[in-house]
Amino acid sequence: MNIRKLKDAFAGRLMLAAALFSSLIVLLMAIILYLRSRPILEVKTLNDLLLGSIWMPFQGKFGFYPFIMGTLYVTLLAMVIAVPLSILSSIYLAEYAHENVRTKVLPVIDLLAGIPPVVYGVWGVLAVVPAISYIAPVIGNLGIPFLTVKGYSTGYSLLAGGIVLAIMVFPIIISISEQVLRAVPFDIKEASLSLGATRWQTIKHAVIRIAYPGIAAAIILGFSRAIGETMAVLMVVGNVPNIPSSVFDSAYPLTALIANNYGEMMSIPLYDSALLLAALILMLVILFFTVAARLILIRIERSMAYG
Amino acid sequence: MKSHISIQDVNAFYGDHQALRNITVEIPQKQVTAIIGPSGCGKSTLLKCLNRLIDLTDGASVSGKIIVDGINVLNGSIDVTDVRRKMGLLPQKPNPLPMSIYDNIAYGPKLHGKPGKKEMDEIVEKYLKISGLWEEVKDRLKSPANKLSIGQQQRLCLARGLAVEPDIILCDEPTSALDPVSSQHIEQQLLKLKTNYTIVIVTHNIHQAMRLADYVIHLYLGELVEHGHANEVFENPKEERTRAYINGTFSIDLKIDSEANLKGKMCPFNFVYAKQALHNLEDGKILKIIVDDPTAVTEVPRGMEADGHKVLIVKEINKTDWEIVIQK
Ligand SMILES: Nc1ncnc2c1ncn2[C@@H]1O[C@H](COP(=O)(O)OP(=O)(O)OP(=O)(O)O)[C@@H](O)[C@H]1O
Ligand SMILES: [Mg+2]
Repeated sequence: MNIRKLKDAFAGRLMLAAALFSSLIVLLMAIILYLRSRPILEVKTLNDLLLGSIWMPFQGKFGFYPFIMGTLYVTLLAMVIAVPLSILSSIYLAEYAHENVRTKVLPVIDLLAGIPPVVYGVWGVLAVVPAISYIAPVIGNLGIPFLTVKGYSTGYSLLAGGIVLAIMVFPIIISISEQVLRAVPFDIKEASLSLGATRWQTIKHAVIRIAYPGIAAAIILGFSRAIGETMAVLMVVGNVPNIPSSVFDSAYPLTALIANNYGEMMSIPLYDSALLLAALILMLVILFFTVAARLILIRIERSMAYG
Repeated sequence: MKSHISIQDVNAFYGDHQALRNITVEIPQKQVTAIIGPSGCGKSTLLKCLNRLIDLTDGASVSGKIIVDGINVLNGSIDVTDVRRKMGLLPQKPNPLPMSIYDNIAYGPKLHGKPGKKEMDEIVEKYLKISGLWEEVKDRLKSPANKLSIGQQQRLCLARGLAVEPDIILCDEPTSALDPVSSQHIEQQLLKLKTNYTIVIVTHNIHQAMRLADYVIHLYLGELVEHGHANEVFENPKEERTRAYINGTFSIDLKIDSEANLKGKMCPFNFVYAKQALHNLEDGKILKIIVDDPTAVTEVPRGMEADGHKVLIVKEINKTDWEIVIQK
């Protein structure tokens, strides 16, 4: 009897410790990143660092602006591609697809989430990059804003990164949105349909209204996945530190900057500190989006509880 | 009696399970038709066949014909939105749409045309008045519909259904989630509406059926047992099963004079105890006993009848226990 109680108490403590440990690690990481990036923060203003666009470590110029923009652009482009497609897929799966189709397709989509990023990267290099270098001259000469090509495009571009990232984000948005849509009470659909609405009208006017906070959370989770993704992006995005003005330009996201350079040329003064600052910026951005997603999820649960 | 909905040889399946068998019946125009029957007998299924909401159930299939205004509703190639528009639905649990009171009523008219603002205001007011909700909500039309009380929500659903100008109102146990006052309110609205609408109401409540119905359809295990004018069916049912069902549901109101709990007693002791309890009562008084022995369920009533007492009800009240009501 006592041994059982003891075990129980022990298990409780152990789990508490595990939980504390993992949250502590996040905190420790942030603190260490901050301490290690202090040297550069002491000699440069935050303004210079965040808004400077020249990256020349040898001359002591560390402008993060192209990298921050690279990260934001590639993530945004990925979301622009992924959000409409994956929401339409999830609507199809939740509302139109036959049970048989749904039960076969959903596991495949979940499988997509488990493929290692490097495989997506290789696929990007072998399939997406050549395809883009092929279409770039055609589209690039039409003079459409954001779709112009200066000189020629190798295919290693914002667009390649966006497409590869979009495909990596699909499974997250699709499977969460599908669940959210299917959780919409049947009553609501019944009410709308019995008034003579078509299925699409029902989805557009009634179902989405209930599901949108959940879908928003799915999008935010997809966003934080995309913004932190490194390997697949750095393989296809070109890694040139300029501010892209067209989707056919190369870009250089923060993640790629850190992964490509950390551990090399560390003798350059402040270089190490600059890279760790990049990591800190990235972490803060991701933290921001994760917290936002959490808050939205909490709101959904509330609204469900109080009807 | 003019027929409005003609149900011809309808069979409905959920996968392999047959929920309706060869149902053929006419539903009269501008009258209240009550569908009664025990749980699981196919009442809701029949209602869902009428407005084709059964299409939403994966694996469900329906055969036969349901003719409304000369159109076979079950025909796969007709526009179901037209069919559903003709039939307002009042569900068991109120299901307001996730929007304001005003928008709930406006939802249907907006789908089927684009009335202007002023016209829409009139529509909303008109149907809220018909459903008897206007006075209560006229000052807060823009507040969310799910903040209303359940009874108010149900009247809102009625108004919303009427706003698409149906000819038929289908109600699936419309008052079972409501308090007595709200139930009465809904019943009153339905009685008023029957001058203009054909009303089909599924109900578990025999009293409600008696109060409302002009015509009654009794289903049992997916079969049509009996149908006919309400007074005939209620006062003089042709079928024994209908009589039993009506009596069975009446039991709730029987005045029980004595009760005995005979759980855990085996045959024949439960019979003996029951006899003893009955012995202490005057003639005509009513005894209720609870048993949990499966043999007692058949043997006790048989023995009691043999002794000249009248067995009024034998009813399963939960997984193990049965209730037997006997009149001396
Ligand atoms: N979606 C479904 N899938 C499979 N079987 C179903 C489904 N809906 C109903 N059934 C079955 O069909 C039969 C009739 O069900 P129905 O809902 O029409 O009964 P009901 O008379 O409305 O009962 P209640 O009074 O409890 O509402 C039942 O045996 C039920 O188990
Ligand atoms: Mg039912």
